[in-house]
Amino acid sequence: MTSRIEIYSPEGLRLDGRRWNEVRHFRCAINTHPVSSDGSSIIEQGNTKVICNVIGPAEPTLRSRSGDRLGISVKIIVAPFSTIERRKRPQSDSRIQEMCSSIQHVFEDAVIAHLFPRSQIDVNLYIVAQDGGVLQACINATTLALIDAGVPMYDYVCACTAGMLDREVLLDMNRIEESDMAFLTMATIGATRKVSLLQLEMKVQFDRLEPMMAAAMSGCHHVRDLMDNEVRKHGKSRRQMGSL
Amino acid sequence: MATVKRAYIEDLNKRLTLSQKVFVRSRKGKATKIVQEHYLRTDIPCSSQLCPTCALNPPMDSSGTSRPFVLSSDPPSVKSFGPHYLVPDTNIYMKAMDLLEHFAAFYDVIVLQTALDELRNLSLPLYNRLRALTRSQEKRFYVFHNEFRQETFVQRLEGETINDQNDRAIRNACVWYSVHLQEAVAGTGKSAPTILLLSDDKDNIKKAKELGIVRATLETYVKELPQADTLLDMIVVEGDEDTSGANRYSYAEYYTTSRVQGGVKEGLLHQGILNINQYNFLEGNISVAGFERPLLILGRESINRAMHGDVVVIEVLPREQWKHPSTKIVEEETVSKNDNPEDDTQENVVTAQERRVLIEEARQAQHSSAEFRVQPTAKVVGIVKRNWRSYVGHIDASSVPSDAANARRQTSVFLIPMNKCIPKIRLRTRQAMNLLGKRVLAAVDSWEPTSRYPEGHFVRTLGDIESKDAETEALLLEYDVQYHQFTQTVLDCLPKEGHNWRVPADTSDSLWNGRRDLRELLVCSIDPPGCQDIDDALHARVLPNGNFEVGVHIADVSHFVKPDTAMDTEAASRGTTVYLVDKRIDMLPVLLGTDLCSLKPYVERFAFSAIWEMTPEAEIVNTSFTKSVIRSKEAFSYEQAQLRIDDKRMNDDLTQGMRILLRLSKILKQKRMDAGALNLASPEVKVQTESETSDPMEVGVKQLYETNSLVEEFMLLANISVAAKIYEAFPQSAMLRRHAPPPVTNFEVLADQLRVCKAMTLRSDNSRALADSLDDCVDPGEPFLNTLIRILATRCMLAAEYFCSGTMTYSDFGHYGLASPIYTHWTSPIRRYADVVAHRQLAAAISYETLHPSLRDKPKLQRICQNINQRHRNAQFAGRASIEYYVGQALKTREIDAEGYVMKVFSNGFIVFVPQFGVEGPIHLRDIGNPEPPCNFDEERYTLIFRKDTEEETRLQMFDRVLVRVETVVEESTGKRKVALRLKKPLIA
Repeated sequence: MTSRIEIYSPEGLRLDGRRWNEVRHFRCAINTHPVSSDGSSIIEQGNTKVICNVIGPAEPTLRSRSGDRLGISVKIIVAPFSTIERRKRPQSDSRIQEMCSSIQHVFEDAVIAHLFPRSQIDVNLYIVAQDGGVLQACINATTLALIDAGVPMYDYVCACTAGMLDREVLLDMNRIEESDMAFLTMATIGATRKVSLLQLEMKVQFDRLEPMMAAAMSGCHHVRDLMDNEVRKHGKSRRQMGSL
Repeated sequence: MATVKRAYIEDLNKRLTLSQKVFVRSRKGKATKIVQEHYLRTDIPCSSQLCPTCALNPPMDSSGTSRPFVLSSDPPSVKSFGPHYLVPDTNIYMKAMDLLEHFAAFYDVIVLQTALDELRNLSLPLYNRLRALTRSQEKRFYVFHNEFRQETFVQRLEGETINDQNDRAIRNACVWYSVHLQEAVAGTGKSAPTILLLSDDKDNIKKAKELGIVRATLETYVKELPQADTLLDMIVVEGDEDTSGANRYSYAEYYTTSRVQGGVKEGLLHQGILNINQYNFLEGNISVAGFERPLLILGRESINRAMHGDVVVIEVLPREQWKHPSTKIVEEETVSKNDNPEDDTQENVVTAQERRVLIEEARQAQHSSAEFRVQPTAKVVGIVKRNWRSYVGHIDASSVPSDAANARRQTSVFLIPMNKCIPKIRLRTRQAMNLLGKRVLAAVDSWEPTSRYPEGHFVRTLGDIESKDAETEALLLEYDVQYHQFTQTVLDCLPKEGHNWRVPADTSDSLWNGRRDLRELLVCSIDPPGCQDIDDALHARVLPNGNFEVGVHIADVSHFVKPDTAMDTEAASRGTTVYLVDKRIDMLPVLLGTDLCSLKPYVERFAFSAIWEMTPEAEIVNTSFTKSVIRSKEAFSYEQAQLRIDDKRMNDDLTQGMRILLRLSKILKQKRMDAGALNLASPEVKVQTESETSDPMEVGVKQLYETNSLVEEFMLLANISVAAKIYEAFPQSAMLRRHAPPPVTNFEVLADQLRVCKAMTLRSDNSRALADSLDDCVDPGEPFLNTLIRILATRCMLAAEYFCSGTMTYSDFGHYGLASPIYTHWTSPIRRYADVVAHRQLAAAISYETLHPSLRDKPKLQRICQNINQRHRNAQFAGRASIEYYVGQALKTREIDAEGYVMKVFSNGFIVFVPQFGVEGPIHLRDIGNPEPPCNFDEERYTLIFRKDTEEETRLQMFDRVLVRVETVVEESTGKRKVALRLKKPLIA
């Protein structure tokens, strides 16, 4: 009953040498594309890389005017070279559409929208490399780019994945792990227990859901700390440069 | 969500270093680059009990426990190296797993991740065995993840091969361990154990020497050990490369992997499992999709080093080489008796003698007109998967050189496996003389194209040939029956109360939840005499409306065996209880099997009940299932039950109930027969043993009563009802059993034989036609003939199998033999694992409990099915082999004349079946007279005509009755005492 790869060894190590509760190498930067956008960021979680550009808040184009509310439109561009096998994905890919709408819903609630009636924010996400946890990286990147754009939010929106292999919870899964087990993506509002997104696409035994959620939530809080560090560091350097 | 705890998260960015693993993979002819992260850490412990630093900070798993340190502070010591921890390289695992598992040596072993990963890619079974070793506490094997530890990680150098990198990683880890342990014991006054690198790779040894690593080859190390002689034999001998001369004859090389894969894809080559004919070791057949009949593989060259059960790739030979199956009995012992195990140089793969046999067959094939008998032939061109395991056999005495006794030098000898489908195995041993006359277990290592026979190595001896223990163990090993004692972790899953466990008296106890109280019902069980594991009990009573209520109560095993426990895993891997003549190898610990689960009389037991309301015509009005508590009133044997029913004076309610059951069962049986169920036969005999010594005394044919069929009918009914219920509840994952209809071609030969010899017809269009035509095959002069035909018909059928409902379409669910559209096994959970699964699924289907996720998981269920199918088959074989052995023993000192029937005719002999003892055996013409009497074989009439000396001509046709002398001889080829038959005279009806 053994497959050729061992996702989780009896000694408690994962394929890439992490233990169950360790997130991958997390690197982020904000204000990476100051010229082409109002806010921008880049996120690397392990080998998953996402760039985010935010334009707005601005007056909406005529076509997309949607009443009095603030509209957020999300567009995801997947680079053909982002996966192992080069493949072009059309914009209309249903999975991408689904991710767009999840992200849109999450941020419509996280942004203090009443400050910007009748305006529009465009979020463009570029997936440069994929190695599992694409949705979480997109959400984290969007959070940072919105902060960079100066859009007021209630708190960071931070996302993380957790999976369940037999009885073991694994945090922050890479591509190989994702393909081998049931996993969920969770986004929380800052370091609170408010969950703004919970996505689970596979069948999971009910009693196993709770440990997965607990792990994912602590992962989210950890990601929040990492992002917060980066934002503060960035703020400090801007102040030193005298741009603030 | 109030209970969500905040899990502790390590800050990876601070503590770990990141490296990237980059490699190129080729798939579909395209090269793709793959990048994976590889984290290097410093918290992987050395796991030595000597080390205080690693013990300070042991890593925790998600439940907060850490693994104990395994390497002992006082490791074993040998003369040259002192106390030491062993670090074997991959090759050692590949060729000496039997040694590593030996209890006498190899303790405190550091298994490096590098070697472990390499092993997994090379051989999954060996990997699993090594993993099992690391799990068991007593051998003290520790897996050290050297590639994740910062100090021991090695980066691939430019131009370095993977193998070299792995060897370097292993050496690196050795160096690190020595230094680390030196530091650990510094200041304590103790001396650190030596880190001993075991490797047979010359280059590796040389480089290790440069680094100052203590190293040894396997052989030099084993020589230091106390039991060196036995252990040395277990080392695999590598063929000396320099002996292979260029002009030597050899087997054809296998095609390259890419050619094989391409060929299979394009349909030029075919893949399948090779079956060797048990009567002719030079003939194999293989069923592949796309060919109606199995393909024949004739001769050693075509079989090309494949062994029975291997998954092979074959190439079909051109049509002019198609032949019909052999009409001869060919045994390896007679054809290749004089091969010399030492001498490999002059040998041709096909000896002149074998060639003669083949040519003779080819000649016959040409003037055979029976078109349907010509079969396509093929040759093996590649092996996908070897089915090698350990084989039990004995040493061929003639292959032992006469001077072996005085020299302790290694000699080559032949091991003749018990299984006739397996060729001789060449072993090198230092103890040839000691092994003579013993049952020996050996493993196959390789089969080089230049070697006529496979190479193997000695594993252990089981004892003297023909001693009861050795023979029993031999057949358990041969059929892969797990016969070891249950481990403590399994026994820990049993109820603490042991034999004192009782159904709680208080019906408000939580164990009573959802259980119906059926203690007042008049339930009884009917089983074979002396049965201890009573799975099932029955009851019946008249309802006020004139209908009957019938209940089948099955031991509630799933109450005691919960999923995902050690006991469940063990039961799943055993799959079934194995019944030998004098022994029972239980699937569940004896406490459950014969006591707590067993539905013994006069005590309260948990049960799972299926209850039907039936009209007097046995039409089912409704069906219900419930967990229950019953109290069996009596445990009958079939005979007792029959007597009680027949006894007119008994008129109590229990007897009345049994009469109702009997009456209904007859109606049910009739209905089944009308639907086309088959009444098959298998040669069943029973061996009576002396109770004290369990020496066999008497052999008799099993007697059947009406009550046998009573129990059987209701069990079938219960199984069918349950199957329908669980399929309805879990259409994707129900555990079911099917019996596929046999291909019509399977019956061609038998039908032709019947037509020619007995002028009977056999129709096999569907099970109904077959059942009817079998009923018609009656010869008033030969009462046994019908049974014989049924036995032969049974052999034409496919085996029934367990499967998971999601893997097939509904139309394939049918059970051909029972003529039921759906079927499962539910009634014997004590002795079959499939029933345990069905119990759990049924319990979930009636909402008694929630279904465990593993029983919803299709791939997992499929694996379970595969295993229990295999185990089930093996258990049957083992049971039969056990009977065969005991029949041999029972007849050891006697010679009896008995009637038998010819059930197969060859051109140089025939097979006779003796119903009295349930044995069949060949009679060779060469045994009838010396010199071999001239004979004439009429293949189309299945007749063999021969004349012995001056006597008049004897004609023997298929199905003829003959008088044979039954005696026993120790068969030279297998070392088994076997029934041997000699023809006395044909009895013409």
